Amino acid sequence: MARRLPWRRDMRTLALLFVLLGLPLVAANAQEADAPEGAVIDAVEISGFSLYSLSPGLQKDINSLVGSPLNREGLNQLASRIEQEQPEVVAAVRGVSRPDGKARVIFLVARISDDTDLTENINARYIVETVDVEGPYNEISQQLRDDLQKLVGRRLDTDEAERLHERLEKELPGRDVARRISKGSQTGRIRVVFEIFEEPWIRFAPTRSKLVYHSQQGWSGVLDIPMSSSRSRHRFTAGVAFNDIDELIEEYSGFRLAFESRVIGTEKLGARLEFSRYNQTWEDATLTALASNPGIPELYRNRLTFEPTATFAFNPRVRINGGISISELESLSNSPNSQMANAWLFGISGDHLWQGSNDVRQRAEASYQIRAAVKGLDSDLVYKRHLGQARYQFEQGRSEAIASLSLGYITGDAPLFERFSLGNSTTLRGWDKYDISPLGGERMFHSSVEYRYSHVAVFFDTGSVWDRNTESKIRYSTGFGIHSDNSFLTVGFPLNSDGADVTFMAGVRF
Amino acid sequence: MSAAISRSAGWQSLLPLVVIAVVAVPLAAQSVTVRTVANALHVQARGFSFIEGPVLTRLKEGRSVRIDFELTVLTKPDGPSTKQAAQGFTLSFDLWEERFAVSRIGSPPRSISHLRPRDAENWCLENLTVPVSSLGFGRDTPFWIRLAYRVHDVAPEVNQAPDERYTLRGLIDRLSRRREEADLAKSVDAGPFRLP
Repeated sequence: MARRLPWRRDMRTLALLFVLLGLPLVAANAQEADAPEGAVIDAVEISGFSLYSLSPGLQKDINSLVGSPLNREGLNQLASRIEQEQPEVVAAVRGVSRPDGKARVIFLVARISDDTDLTENINARYIVETVDVEGPYNEISQQLRDDLQKLVGRRLDTDEAERLHERLEKELPGRDVARRISKGSQTGRIRVVFEIFEEPWIRFAPTRSKLVYHSQQGWSGVLDIPMSSSRSRHRFTAGVAFNDIDELIEEYSGFRLAFESRVIGTEKLGARLEFSRYNQTWEDATLTALASNPGIPELYRNRLTFEPTATFAFNPRVRINGGISISELESLSNSPNSQMANAWLFGISGDHLWQGSNDVRQRAEASYQIRAAVKGLDSDLVYKRHLGQARYQFEQGRSEAIASLSLGYITGDAPLFERFSLGNSTTLRGWDKYDISPLGGERMFHSSVEYRYSHVAVFFDTGSVWDRNTESKIRYSTGFGIHSDNSFLTVGFPLNSDGADVTFMAGVRF
Repeated sequence: MSAAISRSAGWQSLLPLVVIAVVAVPLAAQSVTVRTVANALHVQARGFSFIEGPVLTRLKEGRSVRIDFELTVLTKPDGPSTKQAAQGFTLSFDLWEERFAVSRIGSPPRSISHLRPRDAENWCLENLTVPVSSLGFGRDTPFWIRLAYRVHDVAPEVNQAPDERYTLRGLIDRLSRRREEADLAKSVDAGPFRLP
C-alpha cells in the first residue's frame, strides 16, 4: 500500500473545506446540484474520514440512510454527532442529485487544526448573514461601508474582520469600537456586529503631558496621569510640571490635581475642579523688561489656583462653560504678601468632523473664552482677558493641511500668567518669546499654516504680540520638520529678524 | 446552668472544625495534582477555572480569547525554577453548537471542539507538560509546582449608568470589576510532590 504524501493530504483537506463551506468548487459542477428534500438516497459517502472511526451506532445510522428519503435536518444531526464523537473535526453534509432523481449523500469532514481561521475562531465555519454597525453609520466612509458588506455571504474571515475593525477605529478617532458575533436567523448563519460607542457630549480636558526641547529656551516637561478608562464618566488627574517654560512667560514647576465629570445626571452637563500649585522662576530678560515697565503687575514666587467650572453641551459639537478661577500670587520681592487674581470664566467652543469619501477628513474647531477678574470676587488685580481660537485640519491619504488663527485681547492689569506670548514650540516657531516680548503682551494675533506629507512637515507662522500703548510688529517664521502622531522634530527660521538664528525644537506630547 | 455550660462547651469544640472547614474548603476547591504519562509531567488543577467572568463574556459574544499558561517546577516553595513550560491557547465558543473550541498555538497544531467549559480548561492543562527527563531529579526529591495563566486583550467592562455610580449596586459592580480584573491573570502554587 502506497504511503500517502503529506502535501496530498493537505490538498485534500483544503479541497474538502472548500466543499464543506459551500464555496463554488462543487457548486460549479451542474451535475452535482443539491438533491430535493425527500429524494431517495441511494449512496452515502464520508470524505476525509474513516467511517470505522465512528461508533458502531453512528455507523449503523449513517449506513441506514441508503434507501430512505433525504431529510436535511436528520442529515445535519448526523453531522453534528460526527463532530461530537470526533471533536477534532468539523463536519458538514451535502445531498446531491443523481441523473435518475435519486440522491447521493456526502459527509465532508476536515480537521480543525488544518484551517487557521477555524483555529482562531470556531465560528469561522459559519456563513456571515449580515454585517451591522451599531452607532453613527453615516460617519463611516462609503468605501468602508462597502468593504464591511463584502463579509456577507462568505465564511467569517477573522483576519479581514479585524482589519475592518481597525479601519473603523481609524475613521472614528476617539470612539471605541467593539466587535461581536451572534447567531443568524438560520442554523449555520451568523451576524457580525460592529458596535461604535458614541463620542461623549462633553470630553475630558486633553492631557498636557509633554517633554519639549527648544534650543533657545531649554527643556520643558509636564506629566499628567489620568486615572480612568476612555469610556469612564469621571476622571481624576494628577500632574506635575518640571520647568515648563514653553507655555507661558513664566517658567513654572509644581503639581496639579483635577477631577472631571462629564456626566452629571445628564450627558449634557459636566464639571471640573482643579487645584494647582506652581513655583515660578523668571528669565533675566523678563526681570530687565519689568524694571522699565512699572505698570505691569509684580512678579510672584508661587501661584496657587483653585478653579471650579461647569460645562453644558447643547449637542456633541457645541459647549459652553463657566466658573471661577481663584489664584493667589505670592510676591517675589515682598513675600509673604500676595495678590489675588480672581476671575469669572466663560467660554464657548465647537468642533465638527466631516468624513467624506476618498479618505478625506476635515475637522474644524473654534472657541472663545473670557476671564474677567473683578473686585466683586475680592480680586486685587482687575482685568478682562479675551481669547478666540480657530483651527481647521484637512486630511487626505498621506497629506494633511492645518490652518489656525488665534486672537487675544486684555484690558486692565492682568498678571503675567495671563499675558499672551508667542515664540515657543507651537507659535512663531523659529522665534524666541523673550526676544519678541519678555513680558508678554496685552494684544496678540497668530496664524499658522502647515502642510504635512506622511511624516514630513513644512509651516509658515505669522504673529504679533504687543501692549496697548506700543506699536505692533508682525513677525514671520517658517521651517520644516518631522512629525508623527505625538512627537516632532522641527527646525524654524525667523524671517524678518535682525539676526538669523535658527531654532531647533523637538519633543513628544502624549 | 450546667446545660448552658455544656452547650457552650459544645460550640467551643465545634469551633476548630469550623475553622478547619473554612480553611480547607477553598484549598480543596483548588487542589493540584501531578501525574506522569510516558516522559511528560502533567498537572491537574481542580477549581483552577479561567472560562468565567470577562473571558466567558467575550467568548459568548463570538470572539476568541488567547490565554498563555506557564507551568514552573520549583525545588522549594518560592524557590528557584528547575524547569518551565509555556503554552498558548486560543479559545472560542461555537455559537450554534454552544460548546467551546480550543486550539493549541504553535507546532504541531492541535484543536478540539464541542467541549464544556471544564473540559476545555482540562484540555489546556493536558497540553501543558514538562518532560520528566529535563527535571534533573529523582523520584525521592520533593518539588513544587507553580501554574499561572494570563489572558490577552480582554478588558473588564467599564460602563456604568451614572445613577448607579454611588449606590450600593454601583459599589458591588465596582468590586465585581476588581474581581474580573483578577480573573485575567491567576497563579497557584502547590506542593510538595514527588514523581509518581
